[in-house]
Amino acid sequence: MRFGILASMALVLALTASASKAGPIEDRQELMKANGQSAKVLGEMAQGKSPFDAAVVKENGDALAARFEKARSLFVPGTEQGPPETYAKPEVFTDAAGFGAALDQAIQASQAVAAVTDQAQLGAAMGDLGGACKNCHDKYRRPKD
Amino acid sequence: MAKLRSKLGWLIAAVALIGAGGVVFLRISEPHPLTESDLPAHVADIEHGRILYTIGGCISCHRPPKEDTARQADLPSGGKPLATPLGPLYPPNITPDPVTGIGRWSKLDFVNAVYLGISPQGIHYIPAFPYTSYHRMPLADILDLQAYMAALPGVSAPDRENRLPLDVLLRRGIGLWKRLAMPASMFQPDPAQADSWNLGAYLVNAPGHCSECHTPRNILMIPDEKRHLAGGPHPEGKDRVPSLRNLISRGRYADAEELTSAMLFGETMGFDRLSSGGMGDVQANLAKLPEDNVRAIAEYLVSLK
Repeated sequence: MRFGILASMALVLALTASASKAGPIEDRQELMKANGQSAKVLGEMAQGKSPFDAAVVKENGDALAARFEKARSLFVPGTEQGPPETYAKPEVFTDAAGFGAALDQAIQASQAVAAVTDQAQLGAAMGDLGGACKNCHDKYRRPKD
Repeated sequence: MAKLRSKLGWLIAAVALIGAGGVVFLRISEPHPLTESDLPAHVADIEHGRILYTIGGCISCHRPPKEDTARQADLPSGGKPLATPLGPLYPPNITPDPVTGIGRWSKLDFVNAVYLGISPQGIHYIPAFPYTSYHRMPLADILDLQAYMAALPGVSAPDRENRLPLDVLLRRGIGLWKRLAMPASMFQPDPAQADSWNLGAYLVNAPGHCSECHTPRNILMIPDEKRHLAGGPHPEGKDRVPSLRNLISRGRYADAEELTSAMLFGETMGFDRLSSGGMGDVQANLAKLPEDNVRAIAEYLVSLK
């Protein structure tokens, strides 16, 4: 009995702890950080600063596509404003269709990167992906001071 | 009767004062273009002109709107309207088409436009065209820019007329404003700094016109040089333009090398800061510059405290 109470208290504590740490805003910021890391790995390869590795390209391209898909569920009503401070523009929520289309563009570009099999193709594919990132950041994210 | 006479006296005095004020206003707001003898003897360097055109970001405002697929996207045949406090403003066709562009302009016309913000018809341009920054360029550089732009293909695309409310009066008002807002001298290199730093400072502050958005303006819409590049309200009304000072100590970039990569490669290397608030377009221009120029810009920017 006592064990049961302790266990349930611990469970409640653990749940509240995880809930207070990670809301949709934190989750999407972590997700975008991971995307930046993937882009860096791929970009360095595209420029020949690291050796071409098709497996790494596929892994990061797929991961980018999956994260963009996940992002759809993180920009939800009620998360227009932080804390923590969010740079999402109101247009993310008022123009959900346009924002969705920008994510579609990013997903397609990520899938195209994942399908690349040699270094020569990677530059162009990364150019398109960078264009998709830029397009969405320009329309849907405030400048960061 | 005495009362009426004094009233009349006041009226005459007021009219005289307004008249005198008007004469003074017309005098000091008058455009003073350069003349042929002001131009230096100069053999134009077209490649240098390309660099100035690129860092100047001419294409960013003067390219056709995306919807207009009939016109070539990478030629400055007239852009989508800019939202200004005076209403929408249509960036004109600056390709060398002789009828709809600037093909019939003399070198002197070009210099007066870019360096002084005065049209060939002797009218003050609205300072959305950042001639207050271009005024820091040596005339030889403006002639290089002219040579590059004169060699671009001409595009036939008629301009939309830019008419302001109270156009004649307001344009003269701009003449008055210019007296306060135009920099006193062209760019002066700092002899204590490296050549590369000075190149960066020149590109940022003269052709690059970064200050137009990154330096806050005072109540007279004149950039507040005490807060040079310290960030301010976004010219389009919403959001803020970030400060370019203390970029390293504020953790924005690790060092000048990283900032160089961010400017050259942007999102394709995972650098996302140069995408929002219109900077995506600026980064696309920076990516077309010779790498040593971008490196110089980074060297100058990270030195700003």
